[in-house]
Amino acid sequence: MAMLKKKKEASKQNLLSKQLKEGTDKAFAEHEEKRQAASEVKSAQHAVDESERHADYRTEYDAVVGLEAGENTTRTLWSDAWGRLRRNKLAIIGAVWILIMVLVALTADLWAPQMLGSPTAIESQDMASLSLLPPSLQHPFGTDMLGRDVLCRVVYGARISLAVGLLATAISSLIGLVMGALAAFYGGIWDTIIMRLADIFLAFPYTLFVIVMLAVLGSGIQNVFIAIGILGWPSIARVFRSAILSVKENDYVDAARSMGASDRRIIGRHIFPNSVASVVVYATMNIGGAILTESALSYLGMGVTPPNPSWGAMIQDGQAYLATEPWLMLMPGLAILTTVLAFTLLGDGLRDALDVKMKDA
Amino acid sequence: MARYILKRLLQFIPVFLGVTIILFSLQNIVPGDPIKLIAGDKALSPEVELQLRVANHLVRTDGNGQAILDENGEPIPTPWYEQYANYLGDLLHGDLGTSYARKLPVTQIFAEKFPYTARLALCAIVIEAVVGIGAGLISAIKRYSFWDVLVTLTTSILVAIPAFWLGMLLQLFFGVWLKDWTNDAFYLPISGAGGPASPFYDWVHYILPAITLAAVSTAYAARIMRSQLLEVMNQDYIRTARAKGLSRRQVIYHHALKNALIPVVTYIGLDLGAMLSGAILTETVFNWPGIGYEIYRAISQRDWPIVMGGVTLIIGIVLVINLVVDVSYAFLDPRIRFGAPKDER
Repeated sequence: MAMLKKKKEASKQNLLSKQLKEGTDKAFAEHEEKRQAASEVKSAQHAVDESERHADYRTEYDAVVGLEAGENTTRTLWSDAWGRLRRNKLAIIGAVWILIMVLVALTADLWAPQMLGSPTAIESQDMASLSLLPPSLQHPFGTDMLGRDVLCRVVYGARISLAVGLLATAISSLIGLVMGALAAFYGGIWDTIIMRLADIFLAFPYTLFVIVMLAVLGSGIQNVFIAIGILGWPSIARVFRSAILSVKENDYVDAARSMGASDRRIIGRHIFPNSVASVVVYATMNIGGAILTESALSYLGMGVTPPNPSWGAMIQDGQAYLATEPWLMLMPGLAILTTVLAFTLLGDGLRDALDVKMKDA
Repeated sequence: MARYILKRLLQFIPVFLGVTIILFSLQNIVPGDPIKLIAGDKALSPEVELQLRVANHLVRTDGNGQAILDENGEPIPTPWYEQYANYLGDLLHGDLGTSYARKLPVTQIFAEKFPYTARLALCAIVIEAVVGIGAGLISAIKRYSFWDVLVTLTTSILVAIPAFWLGMLLQLFFGVWLKDWTNDAFYLPISGAGGPASPFYDWVHYILPAITLAAVSTAYAARIMRSQLLEVMNQDYIRTARAKGLSRRQVIYHHALKNALIPVVTYIGLDLGAMLSGAILTETVFNWPGIGYEIYRAISQRDWPIVMGGVTLIIGIVLVINLVVDVSYAFLDPRIRFGAPKDER
């Protein structure tokens, strides 16, 4: 109704201006303004109808036209993916949990020692009265055999786990990206050598390989970074290589080439952004895997050196008290489980959002 | 078919050589002089030390097994490529060296341990195949139902659980709490593989370790089964079968399942290699007298021949199983044999 009225008004105005023969710019501008207002109302109405009819696609639509993400947003793979990811509740829960863990790990020094006591120091005079206390208000996760607060150690353990997860994955991704790109772009002998090398690395059972590598290098946290980081590259190289090979076949790459784009531009603008998505998904999931591997190494006593806290080492310490003080192994285990699960959920969400086909995930 | 097998065997050679080079290099960057490790804390006279070096091919020898000395009267160390050749020769003769601490051939030690690992792995594989395929099947057939959600959630959690922690949880529930609740009447053993000292039948000892070892793989098997079946159900030939008037049940069991099972069976086959390779964590949690626990103990004792010999043995098993799985995969799926989709690896 409102639309019709406005249209009528507009045509009235039109007539008036004709009658008065004041064919000036001002009148024309006014007319144009009204016409535009009318069409805006119309299109807004249309958008509302659309969104009601396709309620499911609303968020995606918004993301695509950039209504919420900002005016200059163009439609890219990543903005589309973000629109889809936001609707994935599990992925968002995972992301929020990761964020909380990162914040807790980063700010631990500011509050944990004051509230819970030192994660490493041992109060020798009060040890008997402080050790192996069950969970209470003062010690929410209880205390361990040396009287240290378990919650505090779990908080500090998050630093090790997250650092290993992120850094080791960064190392693997870097090597994997370079190797995968070399294999895919140069092909031929490079491809054969790199992929055979990957085969050789993948022939080793992964956990065992890391353990032996660490046994040889000696335990300690830097070696954990190195071992997990170096041994993780073949899978990432494979994922990136096959992504590049399939992206290379797309028409838009041929189109860019026929328009005279240089190799560098084709790789930088077209192939890389479109093929790196699968590596992002893989790397996200890999962080969880690296955290699991670190915990296994620490459990076997090859990770961080005591008394520094690490979730895997805490579980090993707790094993002796399994029957009497189970919280000693339960709490760090729950920390590992939730953190790894969060990375898996985020990775699953990213995979769906970026529409990446993962062969064995 | 014969050509395909031959091709795979030829591809096997560079992988084998590469693996041995990596193992050999690892062996050589191990900290400490092997002779000192063999001797332990004992001080050695130079003559005995030289004899040991000769016996371990660490110095050059003449035809009579005597060390060749240079002009200063020092023995000449064997160059690395000769050491590698010796290592490879020993390996191909099935000689993995001698344990430093126990003075027994490594092969003999593992021959004793292997049956425990193998039996445990077989139990775990049975669990993985039955539970994994079953859960995946239900999940895919009743998509979006309560069971589907349950399977999806459980598999997500199982994939994120550290295996050793899961083992300890099982110990806590079935070994500690169950014992308390039933006043010691009913519980499961949480350590060791049985034997005369145990109050249980030997097979009872397998329950918890096998579940622990199978857990993660079962979750993956269920996921692969689910996604494969869902993918196959979208294929044209399934629609054709439905259009011909077959019931959904007939279509699933006669057409879809067979094709969906191929990747799952492959995965389970490859997993057998990984499990036989001694689940070091599961065996450590349960004090299981298998290969993995032996390697773990050897690492803490710096008994390198056991560590390296064990790893070599495991990789040998894994490589052979992978080869068998690949060949049978090609046998089941002609597309692989004739090499149609080459880039999909």
